[in-house]
Amino acid sequence: MLKKLLSLCLLAIMVLSFTACGTKKDDSEAGNNSDFKVAVIHIGDPADGAGYTFAHDQGIVAMQEELKLSDDQVIRKNNVNDADAVAIRTAMEEAIEEGADIIFGTSWGYMDTMDEMAKEYTDVIFSHASGYMSNETNFNNYFGRIYQARYLSGIAAGLKTQSDMIGYVAAMGIDNSEVTGGINAFALGVESVNPDAKVYVKVTNSWLDPTLEKQAAEALLDMGCDVIAQHADSTAPQMAAEARGVWGVGYNSDMTKDAPKAHLTAPVWKWGVYYTKAAKDAMEGTWKSENYFGGLAEGFVDVSTLSDNCAEGTKDAIDAAKQRILDGFKVFEGELYDNQGNVVCAAGEALTDADITGAMNWYYKTVEVK
Amino acid sequence: MGALGSRTKQEPFIRVVKKTEISIGKTFLLSLFALIAAIMAGGVFILAIGQNPIDVYITIVKGAWRSSIATKGTIKIAIPLLIAAIGITPAFQMKFWNIGAEGQIIMGGIFATYFALNFDYLPHGILLLLMFVAGMVGGGIWGLLPAVFKTRFGTNETLFTLMLNYIALYMIRFFTEGPWRDPASSGFPKIATFSENARLDRIFGVHAGWLIGLVLVAVMFVYLKYTKHGYEISVVGESINTARYAGMNVKRIVLRTMFISGAICGIAGMTQVTGAAYTLGEGVAGGVGFTAITVAWLSKLNPVIILVVSVLFSMLDKGCSVMQSTFGLSSAVSGILQGIILFFILGFDFFTRYRFVFRKAR
Amino acid sequence: MENMKKEAMAIELKQITKTFGTVVANNKIDLSVRQGEILALLGENGSGKTTLMNMLSGIYKPDSGSILINGNAVTINSPEDAIALGVGMIHQHFKLVDALPATDNIILGVKDKGIFLKKSRSEKIAEIIKRFGLNLDPEKKVYQMSVSEKQTVEILKVLYRKADILILDEPTAVLTPQETKRLFEILLLMKKEGCAVIIITHKLNEVMEISDRVTILRKGESVATVNTASTNAQELTELMVGRPVELSIEHPETYFDENLLEIHHLTVEDEEGINMLKDISFNLNRGEILGVAGVAGSGQKELCESIAGLLPVKKGAILYHNENIVGKTPNEIIKMGISMSFIPEDRLGMGLAASMGMVDNMLLKKYNEGKSPFVSKKSARELAKRLVEQLDIVTPSVDTPVRRLSGGNVQKVLLGREIESEPNVLITAYAVRGLDINSSYTIYDSLNEQKKKGVGVLFIGEDLDVMLELCDRIMVLCHGRVTGNVDTKHITKEQLGLLMTDAGTKKGGV
Repeated sequence: MLKKLLSLCLLAIMVLSFTACGTKKDDSEAGNNSDFKVAVIHIGDPADGAGYTFAHDQGIVAMQEELKLSDDQVIRKNNVNDADAVAIRTAMEEAIEEGADIIFGTSWGYMDTMDEMAKEYTDVIFSHASGYMSNETNFNNYFGRIYQARYLSGIAAGLKTQSDMIGYVAAMGIDNSEVTGGINAFALGVESVNPDAKVYVKVTNSWLDPTLEKQAAEALLDMGCDVIAQHADSTAPQMAAEARGVWGVGYNSDMTKDAPKAHLTAPVWKWGVYYTKAAKDAMEGTWKSENYFGGLAEGFVDVSTLSDNCAEGTKDAIDAAKQRILDGFKVFEGELYDNQGNVVCAAGEALTDADITGAMNWYYKTVEVK
Repeated sequence: MGALGSRTKQEPFIRVVKKTEISIGKTFLLSLFALIAAIMAGGVFILAIGQNPIDVYITIVKGAWRSSIATKGTIKIAIPLLIAAIGITPAFQMKFWNIGAEGQIIMGGIFATYFALNFDYLPHGILLLLMFVAGMVGGGIWGLLPAVFKTRFGTNETLFTLMLNYIALYMIRFFTEGPWRDPASSGFPKIATFSENARLDRIFGVHAGWLIGLVLVAVMFVYLKYTKHGYEISVVGESINTARYAGMNVKRIVLRTMFISGAICGIAGMTQVTGAAYTLGEGVAGGVGFTAITVAWLSKLNPVIILVVSVLFSMLDKGCSVMQSTFGLSSAVSGILQGIILFFILGFDFFTRYRFVFRKAR
Repeated sequence: MENMKKEAMAIELKQITKTFGTVVANNKIDLSVRQGEILALLGENGSGKTTLMNMLSGIYKPDSGSILINGNAVTINSPEDAIALGVGMIHQHFKLVDALPATDNIILGVKDKGIFLKKSRSEKIAEIIKRFGLNLDPEKKVYQMSVSEKQTVEILKVLYRKADILILDEPTAVLTPQETKRLFEILLLMKKEGCAVIIITHKLNEVMEISDRVTILRKGESVATVNTASTNAQELTELMVGRPVELSIEHPETYFDENLLEIHHLTVEDEEGINMLKDISFNLNRGEILGVAGVAGSGQKELCESIAGLLPVKKGAILYHNENIVGKTPNEIIKMGISMSFIPEDRLGMGLAASMGMVDNMLLKKYNEGKSPFVSKKSARELAKRLVEQLDIVTPSVDTPVRRLSGGNVQKVLLGREIESEPNVLITAYAVRGLDINSSYTIYDSLNEQKKKGVGVLFIGEDLDVMLELCDRIMVLCHGRVTGNVDTKHITKEQLGLLMTDAGTKKGGV
């Protein structure tokens, strides 16, 4: 009985596999450089449909279209744990085996392993997002002025809030300048349109933890916050805001589809801008090992399309601020105070990119940690 | 007595009956059958997501062995799995359910890392020997703890070892964010990459962990089968009363064996940090301690079979990762496929112990 | 209609066959009991008695054959089905809730209508107690009861469920002679009331005393059914064993007159701090077999284990050749050169490692000899092979796990190993439990051999008839106290029985 069933299964599989063979995709439309391959190491899975990995993958897709690469020329390694050096190495070695000429590592934790492997595989280009390591020949890093976009998103929040209390779900605490700089830029944006509003921060200590993020958002909502912004990967904070009938500012990707009644806008990366440039240079042999740091001017960061939930006049205010930045406004321009009353940026001075993304461990005066 | 007729119920359609002993040949046949069933069930799943199962399976096998890099990668995955499974074996043989290999690996890694970070001025050989011993001590302590509590207070070792895993895991986080934070990382929490001096040498292109693993297979095989300690472990596993009756010091045997079990898992942690990762991160064990339990159990605690099974497991792991990128599938797909295959193989273990009896037609 | 029912057999089993794997436990067995009749089901261990009765009580299902109750063919799928058909089984191991009184245990699981019926239930129970002259206080909690009282509760349980067919699985194994007598009186009353009773046993005298007919099973087959009145013990034994058997136990005289072991005021606690042995003193001499009798759980296990160094001693001394061995570990006792062999009650759980072969089991106490870290199996293998020959141990090979051997062979492996270590003191607990008659006599012979060599044997036993023949002296334990220590030449079974109960305690030791 059982044997019969199994042999039937086997037969079915064989028949179907032959038909499957026949319908295999034809990939012969590749361009001139059909040997050229791009690999990307993701910490999550693009199939998530939103958030950090999705945003990076959108960039990869844009690059692929721009450079007319076939599907075989793009190698994705998904769900590679960035705390597991062995897993990172295995994934990158597989990419190299499969012929990758350039490897993009999207998570901070990949840095050391990429540094090591760049020494071993000198004919492969390693390009790492968000870190600080690089070498002279085949290893660089790329990141950008996302604080500019956060500043803009702060404007949307500042105009929308009625309670003048804005919540901010932060992945990491004050020590992490990437997060802290983002919070301060956001608070500055809020203040530029609404001097009375305060920003309340709750830290989850995790880049991605939907449960914790939801709990943090709910705590902030309980306090009376009516806009929830975030520097965390999931859409949970936006959904929590939606459930309470208030508003939110997402991150990484347009989260309007996850929280259609709550979402205002989100600071987003346009990774594709860099991926296209880097892959093109690599393909043409003109790639140089220099670090990339893009901003609004390069089109590398932006805010997502403003939703209908935004307050009246938001678009005009953001457009004006955008223009100011393009005209040279540095966002962090003195005189600025932290929330302990210290001057952190003297009048007439401005903080540099390195200060903002690498050495900021104070909160702006309108920020309060809960 | 009219109710009598209605009382005579029908016999149930299927009954499960415990089998008496089963021959080795039959066990082998059943295992083969299980493998085929697993591959077929996985095939149905692959079909369901619109891929060709034969292509996918070929990719998996090829992906694990297609080049020297791939082979080395597969071996590198197998090393900690093999060592940890060998480590679990004496504890399980003693029926001490050590679910704490994960934590013991981590502690081995932490102890070894201490020397790698602070003593890398020592000569290479001495430093590595120190790290090796430190790894053993770290894992050993983590194995000894639940044994002490079990022999002293009768605590449940399964829960105890399981909970210690989490303590170990959070200790890594503590060290990463606190005392061992890389001073060069400008505030980002990570432990520095080890210097060349603190890295395990490679033999034939793969770090020497594989040699350690092979030596451990042989040593554990002899230890369990031919030594007095091994005999004691078997008797204690059989019945504590029998062991006491035979004049054995059961407490000492349990403590000693759990130290050995933890120490070997600690070696796995040491080889991971110094041979594969060159640093300590939260993923140092990465679930290996749990997979090792499956490997050890599936291998019926035979070290030689453990060697074979852990290589097969790594092949599946490595191959599935290649399959996922080759076919552009979601990583969940490889997880599901591995799950289906494991489910069938473990499920068939049931059939080596039980059989079904169908109702006979009257 | 009613008359026709009376004519029908209460139970009729036809051509019942049951197999477990490749083992045929029951092969085409026929059996019948009338109403108002006591049938003894006689057979050696492993002859299929319990399996057969488990099919009647719904625990197993026959592979083939049919069961008729009061003339109707039935299928019994569960114990509930069985009780609905009026079949009640009293197992060897009681299934009672210790913390509850007898009443609650009896009504537990009975699906009467209503929840406030406890009073009427109590009345019903009281009525049954009266009708069968049972000796039981229905409000007494089970944990306070003696074994015999617990058994009475089990009987009440099935009577309360209106069972008129009773099956008792070796009911007398745990009872004193006096209690056995009480039980038999109850059974006779039931018989008078028209119940059909099946009693499983391997004690011939009981068969002769209580039953109307005997059905004898041998190796899964029914070999004969005879009227008790027209048979005798010798014939029944031959039917049971399959050939003529000499039913006497040798009792050699020895002349050593030397004290081996002296126990002084020994008091031992169990894990909960309850005294299991209370102030026990006795001597064991060279060349004697000292029997220890008592109801199960009177402290026999604790006595053995404390002498072997397995249980901590609270008070008292155990002198071996005038040296106190209290406080020493079993290993130290072995190292001191004292050769104490101990055959525990739980053979596979203590005396042997069940899934190891004979060879590995031979090593159990000797594996640690020598300085090498490795175990030497050579001599163990030789010993195992020798024992197989000497004791006719039936095993596929000396490496076959001992749990796959039959009970008798397991016991031979254990005893063989212990005797082989040339002990001075040999402690055996229930050495023949579960063994067939032949094996039992082999064991008795071996013990006598040891006695003749000058070994002091402590024999914890159950069957008083055997003990009276085999032992030189019998010490009686009751609730952890010694209630008597007597020469077997000067005592009867009934006197021993009295000493085993509280009645004996009150009168003081002999």
